[in-house]
Amino acid sequence: MDPSSLSLSNFDEKDKKEIQQFIQNEQQKAKFQENVHSLTAICWTRCIAGNKLTGPQIDATEATCLDNCVNRFIDTQKAVISQVEKMGAH
Amino acid sequence: QQQNVENARNLIHKINTSCFEKCVSKPGSDLSQVEEKCIRYCLTKYLSAWNKVSAIYIARIKSDPSSN
Repeated sequence: MDPSSLSLSNFDEKDKKEIQQFIQNEQQKAKFQENVHSLTAICWTRCIAGNKLTGPQIDATEATCLDNCVNRFIDTQKAVISQVEKMGAH
Repeated sequence: QQQNVENARNLIHKINTSCFEKCVSKPGSDLSQVEEKCIRYCLTKYLSAWNKVSAIYIARIKSDPSSN
């Protein structure tokens, strides 16, 4: 396939829109994965890393901890953003 | 597809780091059976944690779209 035929200008408006939407979706998915990786790493350290490893399952305490960890992390993000915005308003 | 490969690679790397940290505190000339068992448990547990975090994150975004 001739690479020069792959430029977006060769597609009509409808196809262009579809492709852009596809790219956006893929970018969103990539960002989502990235976030899950970070959250898992952080919350693993907080909730599981220090515990005795008696088996392959996550117990109820650890599961609750993960839930709290993820939600509090997101809360922290929101608090930081809103406070930074307030600072910027001066 | 490429994303999936990248994702898996990322995950494996994190598991390596976390489980080495957790299971191999005194590196010897070989991995002991205790260490191998620990790594097995750790790997499974990390994957479960990943799945749980994913679900928790999705639920949070659904109930609070501003958090994305």
